[in-house]
Amino acid sequence: MDFNQNHFELFGLPATFAIDADRLDQAYRDIQAKIHPDRFAHAGDAEKRLSMQWTTRINEAYQTLRKPFERARYLLLLRGIDAMAAGNTHMPADFLMRQMTWREALADANGDTPALTTLERELRDHARELQQELADRIDQRQDWPAAAETLRKLRFMEKLLEEIDDALAAIE
Amino acid sequence: MPVTLSERAATHVKNFLNKRGKGLGLKLGVRTSGCSGMAYKLEFVDAEDPEDVKFDSHGVTVYIDPKSLSYLEGTELDFVREGLNEGFKFNNPNVKSQCGCGESFNV
Amino acid sequence: MALLQISEPGLSTAPHQHRLAVGIDLGTTNSLVASVRNGVAVVLNDAAGHGLLPSVVRYQRDGDVEVGHGALARAAEDPHNTIVSVKRFMGRGIKDIPDAATMPYQFVDAPGMVRLRTIAGEKSPVEVSAEILKQLKARAEAALGGELVGAVITVPAYFDDAQRQATKDAARLAGLNVLRLLNEPTAAAIAYGLDNAAEGIYAVYDLGGGTFDISILKLTRGVFEVLATNGDSALGGDDFDRRVYCWLLEQSLLHTVGDHDKAMLMAKAREAKEHLTDHPEARVTAVLATGQLIDLVLTEAKFNELTASLVNKTLAPCRKALRDAGLDAAEVKGVVMVGGSTRVPRIQAAVGEFFGQTPLTNLDPDKVVALGAATQANVLAGNKAGDDWLLLDVVPLSLGLETMGGLTEKIIPRNATIPTARAQEFTTFKDGQTAMSIHVVQGERELVSDCRSLARFELRGIPPMVAGAARVRVTFQVDADGLLSVSARETGTGIEASIAVKPSYGLGDDEVARMLRDSYAHAQDDMTARNLAEARVDGQRLVEATEAALAENGDSLLDADERAALDKLVAALKTALTDGDLTVIKRASDALNQGTVEFAARRMNLSVKKALAGHRLDELEI
Repeated sequence: MDFNQNHFELFGLPATFAIDADRLDQAYRDIQAKIHPDRFAHAGDAEKRLSMQWTTRINEAYQTLRKPFERARYLLLLRGIDAMAAGNTHMPADFLMRQMTWREALADANGDTPALTTLERELRDHARELQQELADRIDQRQDWPAAAETLRKLRFMEKLLEEIDDALAAIE
Repeated sequence: MPVTLSERAATHVKNFLNKRGKGLGLKLGVRTSGCSGMAYKLEFVDAEDPEDVKFDSHGVTVYIDPKSLSYLEGTELDFVREGLNEGFKFNNPNVKSQCGCGESFNV
Repeated sequence: MALLQISEPGLSTAPHQHRLAVGIDLGTTNSLVASVRNGVAVVLNDAAGHGLLPSVVRYQRDGDVEVGHGALARAAEDPHNTIVSVKRFMGRGIKDIPDAATMPYQFVDAPGMVRLRTIAGEKSPVEVSAEILKQLKARAEAALGGELVGAVITVPAYFDDAQRQATKDAARLAGLNVLRLLNEPTAAAIAYGLDNAAEGIYAVYDLGGGTFDISILKLTRGVFEVLATNGDSALGGDDFDRRVYCWLLEQSLLHTVGDHDKAMLMAKAREAKEHLTDHPEARVTAVLATGQLIDLVLTEAKFNELTASLVNKTLAPCRKALRDAGLDAAEVKGVVMVGGSTRVPRIQAAVGEFFGQTPLTNLDPDKVVALGAATQANVLAGNKAGDDWLLLDVVPLSLGLETMGGLTEKIIPRNATIPTARAQEFTTFKDGQTAMSIHVVQGERELVSDCRSLARFELRGIPPMVAGAARVRVTFQVDADGLLSVSARETGTGIEASIAVKPSYGLGDDEVARMLRDSYAHAQDDMTARNLAEARVDGQRLVEATEAALAENGDSLLDADERAALDKLVAALKTALTDGDLTVIKRASDALNQGTVEFAARRMNLSVKKALAGHRLDELEI
């Protein structure tokens, strides 16, 4: 065990986009149960510090693998591809068009909870389709450039979803 | 009976076992340690040790390991309150001397 | 004769080494201390049989300090020197206290945190809180019959970093070893969850005297995972009292009253609120200093009307927390009510309506937090193998930095599981720039001015380079107490300049040291004795922990030389503990701490490996 292990190795999982979420959760909890700072509150300083470092590391790995976008991005990074790097911005024209339509819909729905919720559902459905596409491009076809493009699309979707979330929160 | 619980002690033990939600009974013992040589042991029992002597006192199952038995012969375990503090107290006729705090003793 | 408690199987301690640990609920209105005795968490009462200690501190001319019921009874008589609800001022500047004008205190606008002018001099809220904690510490030591090894202190989940730091400082000032700062709703969830073997999604609605928290937790086989938390650290039962107080003034055609009457009427308002818990109306009678008589009847309907907006104010955070957790109200299996203010019938009804179910009130809402904290303290002190449950808590508010144009850049998002760390790289924007100023903020808003400023510091010594060439890596680390530390490092050239800061709202180590000195004024010996006692306790703890670790893995993880070296360091510390002075003990402790770093690392690796191995074994069996 060392800090050079990648997130998948840390949890003893295969490095794939499709992931057994229950297994990840279980491995995360099993490790936490052993290393969490609460287990070392009466230990020496060296163990306390290590426990915090390890738990921090495990938390980061878990948060990365748990979220589809972060997981895919991380898988590409492991292959030396930074899909989100500045300059890596190519997007197909049809997606950009759809993107603009959604943005207009968001602007129109400002302050209108039912409209925002409907839009949110639509975007979530589309995000799920993109996740399917990522599974195909990463796990089946291992087509990294194509996967990077899907990932950038997913990023757009996540940003929009965040904006909807903010808009909903602002209504409170 | 070589070792007994006072009725008050038994009531408290039953109450604690009940609130704790598990446990077969109470284990008493002594071990070598402390400033005057020996110290009492007072623990919940979750799993029986076949070596232990087992008996009932006011409805509480008490376990004592055979080695401790001779040191505890005739002891009564009581539950007392002293100011804000409350807890168990061993009234042990075998004790010849004990350290100032009473946490450890000599026979 | 010392009185004994029943230990967990196999965990009897040697005489004089009982690890007495307590949980403390340091509340706005009342505080409590609890401990696990004979396997059961119980609230420790004072000599008069009171469990609740009113969080009221009265400073007297002769330097005496009165805490609790006595102080509360004198609040109306001596309002300037009797501090109630001090929790509202913890980690707060004067501008953070909007209703300061309606309070009888003389606030002093000090940098970082407001101070209060009393007959005994200016007092920081940290010092006032420390008086409450000292009282509880004394009570606990009397009830448990010995010195405490540590305490778990609870804080509102929605407390920001400054408020948490201030709480920890108060505990240090009171001479308590803080085992952990624990979020109040999480503490309540432990008490509730362990008692009821609960599984599923639970919401904890915690309305205290001055703070409101809502936490959404997932309980699975002993894991308490906080999914999201939200709240308002300046909303509580006090505000309900204030609405009633304002109504009293309005009905009596008064605009202002003197400080004595203010304190008296606030108390009357609170009594009326409490009376309405199980009566349809409450009669309020009082005679003011002017001789004017107040005799009014407050009906429940009127009370509900006066406080409706406050009740609603708690529901918005509930909605936000659910959204952050990605859940609907219908998915919540149970709602646990915590805090004395949840006794208000209208609140129970509103919460029931919001979550579509009757809230759970089977545990005493005043005690459940302290009981949960005591349970956790017992595990942290090592009196119980803590394999039974695990707490995974979160950061309540995003942490970030100020960037160009006064905008916030979030580094650690809210609801991140703690401990957590995140690093971000920044570059210089001017040619030859040799310093970079870093402003740490907390909050969800885009503009820095809308967030709480936690600390400012400057990273100097950056080698002069063209703009953008120097790279500064800023790392945020949040520990298991939810406390932040920030460090910055220039990485572009390999030349390192690094600084660790503590948020400026907390007190610096010097300031805590000064307050400690003040509290021991004219008693330098006490101070020295105390330092020595602390070093002894720490050293003893280290010896015990190291010996336990060696017994467990010493043979398998260390070769003969390494083992011998560690044994030697342990022996040296033991000798120092028997006859060494402060310096000798500290030096031996440091040496042992240093010496165990590699061993600790191997043990940790082994633990992780074992956790995964056990996991794979489980799967094979399926």
